[in-house]
This record gives sequence, C-alpha cells and structure tokens, in this order.
Amino acid sequence: MNNITVKKLIEKIEGEAELDFTFNQGEIEDVKINFGFYRGIEEILRGHDAWDALVITPRVCGICNHAHLLAAVRAIENGYENSGLKVNLTSKAKAIREFTLSCELIQNHIKWLYMTIFPHFEKFVGAVSEENYAMKATYLASTITKALAVFSGQWPHASYAIPGGVTCDPTHLDVMQAQSLVDESIKFFEEVVIGLSIDDYLAMESVSSFDKIQGDFGKLLRLMIVNDMGNKGYSHDRFIVFGESVLSKPGRSIITNVTNVDISCVIENEQKGTVSKAVTYKDKFYEVGPLARGMVAKTPIVRSLHKRFKDSVLSRVFARIHEVALLLDYSKSLLNKLQLDEPSCVLKSDVRLTDFDGIGTVEAARGSLIHKTTVRDGVITNYDIITPTQWNLGNSKAVDQGIAIEAMIGSSSIEEATFIFRTFDVCSVCTTQ
Amino acid sequence: MASQNKPKLLWLQSITCNGNTHSFLNHPDLFFILSHFEVVHHPVLDSSYSMEDVIAGIVPCDILILEGSFQEEGFLKSGVEVSSIIKHYANKAKHIISVGTCATFGGIFKQKNPEAISGFCFNAEEKTERYNAYASKLISLPGCPMHPKWLSYVLLMISGKKDIPIDNLHRPVELYGYTVHMGCTRNEYFEWKIDTKTFGLKEGCLFYETGCRGPYTRGSCNKILWNDINSKTRAGTPCFGCTEPNYPQESFFETKTNMGIPDKMPLGVSKRAYLTLTSVAKSFTIKRFSERLMEYDK
Repeated sequence: MNNITVKKLIEKIEGEAELDFTFNQGEIEDVKINFGFYRGIEEILRGHDAWDALVITPRVCGICNHAHLLAAVRAIENGYENSGLKVNLTSKAKAIREFTLSCELIQNHIKWLYMTIFPHFEKFVGAVSEENYAMKATYLASTITKALAVFSGQWPHASYAIPGGVTCDPTHLDVMQAQSLVDESIKFFEEVVIGLSIDDYLAMESVSSFDKIQGDFGKLLRLMIVNDMGNKGYSHDRFIVFGESVLSKPGRSIITNVTNVDISCVIENEQKGTVSKAVTYKDKFYEVGPLARGMVAKTPIVRSLHKRFKDSVLSRVFARIHEVALLLDYSKSLLNKLQLDEPSCVLKSDVRLTDFDGIGTVEAARGSLIHKTTVRDGVITNYDIITPTQWNLGNSKAVDQGIAIEAMIGSSSIEEATFIFRTFDVCSVCTTQ
Repeated sequence: MASQNKPKLLWLQSITCNGNTHSFLNHPDLFFILSHFEVVHHPVLDSSYSMEDVIAGIVPCDILILEGSFQEEGFLKSGVEVSSIIKHYANKAKHIISVGTCATFGGIFKQKNPEAISGFCFNAEEKTERYNAYASKLISLPGCPMHPKWLSYVLLMISGKKDIPIDNLHRPVELYGYTVHMGCTRNEYFEWKIDTKTFGLKEGCLFYETGCRGPYTRGSCNKILWNDINSKTRAGTPCFGCTEPNYPQESFFETKTNMGIPDKMPLGVSKRAYLTLTSVAKSFTIKRFSERLMEYDK
C-alpha cells in the first residue's frame, strides 16, 4: 500500500527511455523500462536483395553500425556455407574486419567513459569538475575512427565488408597511416586515461595493483570505491557471449562457472508497454557486454575484481574500460601482421546464392549481436536482429527480473538507480531497432 | 561567458539512428565550431537545457538542427507528439538545418511507412505541406549520414552572417554542386569504361557492373574526404546514392543494365552522348588499364 511510482525520462542514451520506478519504504522495489519508438528495420529489409542488409542494417545504430555490418555479412556467409558454398576468408580480410570492429568498440567505450559515466557520476556524487570531458572523448574517438576509415572508407555507416572479404585493397602507405593513428590513440590512452604505459597496465592481474592506475580512469576508480560502487548494482551474476572474438569465446558464466552455449536456445519475447523485445536463454535473463566477456574469457583482472566486488557497478565499469586497453593492443598487432599480398575478397562479385538461411554473431560494444537472414529467390523474406541491449534492458518476467532492473532494485534514490542504468551503456535506438 | 549573445543552437531528434550525431562528433574542430553558439540542447553533448525542458517548449532557439524522419502522429516523447515539438521550435528558429537524408527527404525510415513518414519539408523530392511555412529559413544537408564538415560549413556561414547559396532542394551549392564521382581515384577507369573485375581491388570503376551511383549522386564525398582520410569509392565500396531524395533504392551492389548499358546515366548525360563515347573508348585496348597499378617484388 505504501508503493509510489515515479516516472522519469532518461536522455542522452542514444535516444531516450522512460523508467517507471516503484518505491516501497524508501527503496526501489520494481522498475519498468519503456522505449518509445519502433523503426522497423527488420520489416524494411523484407523484399530487398540479400546484400542490401549490408547497407540497411548499419542504420540500426549510429554508434555501433559497424558491428551490424559485420553481423550482416557473417549471416550471408553462414547462409552460403549452409547451402554448400564454403567461404574461406583470407587472413588479411579477417584481420581487417577485426581491426575495424576493434576501432568501433574503442570509440564507443571511450565516449561512454567521458560522455556518460564521468559527467553523470560526478553529478550523482556531487563532485562536478569543470573538465571538458567531451573533448577528450571526441579526440580519441575521432582518431581511432579515422584509422577505421582507412579500410572502410568512412565511419559511421560504411558497407565495406562483403561476402568473401572486404572491398578495400590497402597499400603499405595506408597501413602506416592506420598504425600511426593507433599509436596516437595509445599515447592518449596512456597519458590521459590510465597514466601509465599500456604494457604495465596489461601486466596487472589483480585488484591489488589498482593503485598503479592513474589518469582519469584511476581518478574514476577511486571515486567509485569511495562511493561504495563495489557494492551497488548487483544483478544475477549470469553472463553470456555468442560471438567469437579476441575478447572472449562463446559461452556462459553462472557465478564463475563457464559452460557452452547453443544459439537455438535464444528466445525473443514481446513485452507489454514497450516496443522493445526481451531476450532470454533457456527462459533466463543473462547479462551481455564487456563484463560478460571478461567473465566468460576468465580474464584474470576481471575475475579478480569480480571475486571482491561481484557484478557490481565497479566491475561493470572497469570491464568496459579494460577492453579499450586490450583492443588498442590487439589493433596494433593486427596491423603488424597484415599480409597485404593476399586477396581482399575470395568471391567474384557475380557469385550470388539465391536461397539460404544464415546466422551472424558479433561481439559489439554492448555485447552479443545476432542477425538471422532468410533469403529466397535472392530476396530477403525474413530478417531478425537481436541486439545486446535487448538482453540487458528487458523487463522482468514472473520468474526472473530483467538484468538492469535487478541491478536497480534496492536503490534508495532515482539518481542512484539511473546511474546504475547508464552503466549498462544503454542504447535506445538499438533496443527498439 | 558572453553566451547570451551567441546564437542558440538546438539539436532535435526525430526518427533516427543517431548517425548524424556521431558523424558530427568526428569533426576535428568540433569545439571551435560550437564555441560560436550556445548549445541549448544536444542528443549526447552536455547542454544547458534538459529534454524535459525541450518538450515543455521553454528552450530558446535560434538555429534548429533536425535529425531523423518526420511523422505527424504516433511518435511521442514523454507523451508529447514529437511533430508538435519540432513545429514549435521550427516556428521560433531563424534557421532550420535538416541534417541527414531522413530529416531532409524521409530516408531509410520512410520505408517503414511511406504514407506517413517523410522528411520535414520534403517527401522524397516533393514539397510537404510544411514547406511554405519554413522554406525561407531551411537548409538541407542530406546524406546517410551527413558529412561533419558539411554541417560546420553551414554553421560558420550562419555565425558569420553570410548568405548560403542553395539549389531547389535547399542544398548548399558549394557542397552539393559536385557529384560523388568527382575526385574519385578510379576516374580514369570510368573514362575508359573498365569495370573492376571483382570487389577488393584498387583498380577499375564500380559504375558499370558493381552498383556505384557516384556519377549521378550529388555530394562532395570525394572532395571533402570522410574522416579526413577516405571515401567509400576509394575504399572499393560503391556509392549508394545516400544523399539523394529517392534513397534507399534496391540492389546496392549491382548495376541495373539494359542490353549491357547502365540504366541510369551520369548526371545530365544523354544516352546518345554516353553510347557515342563508350563505343569510342571501348574500341581501344590500353594495356596499362588491364594491369595492376603497382606490382611488388617484380
């Protein structure tokens, strides 16, 4: 009887969401997450040429468009293979695709750190600084997307990955340009974000060495620990990964126990009062994203952090920024190993299968992204997109609370709960497609 | 902080993917450009008014930047029709800039419901009923997304109180007077009618077989490079015609042909002129164009 429901519009999350908070005796007891507008990309794709998904699906999202491109191209290649045409990408094409995806993750994570976490956390704890965080975010983000564009032609919204490989044919000069942009990004990351060398940073395996982290990330970690963020925002401690990447293999982790996954156990459900669909695995909600990848991959420092702070705000924030270091390092090694004399694309442009079913999975910035395409007579008859944020931001079901909702339950204020919400790197446009 | 004297900039989103927002964040001189304005609201940058203030209609606005397709009814924020929020600020503003093909012509999201969804002042090439009310202050920056420097050009022209020459669809002529084809590194292959044999090569033109719409698409992608470094066609990807009123069309990676002749001619070129030139160009075999641009270890 003492329940009070408060509505709150959350903005600057790649669109907006409306949250209904139900309080009971000063604590949040339940939350409903409502996303407003369905744009219908899946419907738009029906009737289009199979390859048109490479152009149309990136327009699901302005910040993770490249992940959609790669999920779309993998879905077509998987479909070709299911219909008997094996696509053996060259190591060059594979490396270029991984490089461009890594760049996109880096720009996303760094924008999130400086444009979402810093300003909102400082506001929440009353420690607002006069720093122009957005300038730091856009400097690193635009530098690394420039390296991305060396291969993809542009960012956002490139369509340079095609069945059989990539459209670009880079020279050593191009690769050197990309290398120096990555080196510049690493320099910025070392001097401004972590305040130590990336090698020293990556050598850390335990929370006990946290003191070494300086820079903005060090400042944030200390501010979070002081404000008890290692004890807030616990969810179900269940994680899942479907895409294969340097960050993690596919798998699921339940309280540190890692097992295999089967994509056919993924179910999408319509939800009342919101246009986004919730996603479950064997009827349970799982968290996706950097913390999930760190847990499934058993990344030592993430595991060490988790041992002490479980799936808290602190662990979630740390895991995402930690990926920036991993990916910068990885991007550099990809470029060093690039075999330019290999073909960029192994399929002739007129090789087109007309009937196939394919699934493409990608580890996008916010977690596992799945595209499923059904093509008959060369035309898309069905297309299904499951975005990472659908996993994390689904509303509760009778038996199970949604991931972000579970994390917000128990908060004593809307300010705290909305900050916890933002630590999931919310993307309204992806959730609603 | 003489911000009260600066023009007030409001960036408002309708049905969108945020692609134009993120495109603009790549601008190398972003904060210099924004320093000419007071950013009263922006989808991701910190700004002086909240979305709730915007919805309440209390935000001052001199320059309205519109991102996303327009729908008169059924798209709400906090229970308020976004169309009414847009019109409220469009009436107030001295300048309206539609960024991206969605806000300008309807774009990709128009395809979901072509009867109800359009651009703000244009529905593909047709003027909407709102056109007359806002035409005098409208600048169109189509593109999926628009290039960050296209927007900075318009913003700095406005802040410098200069007139922006525009065409009949309100696109600045200095940005859209070019075709995407101009400046493409594959131009020589176009001239001699040599298509790229397959994707993934730096040699060959993408117009004849592989879907490139550059020769009949307006935009300066190969003059003002993307991310200051590249363009789709330079990276071997066909131009998809994303700045055009009828974007998106179909079969992006294939050229529709009729008896071996591309269905759509380069901008302003008659079929007769094209065929005459083609038959001459094709009557010569030029060895250089059948070879790789560069050979390593030979």
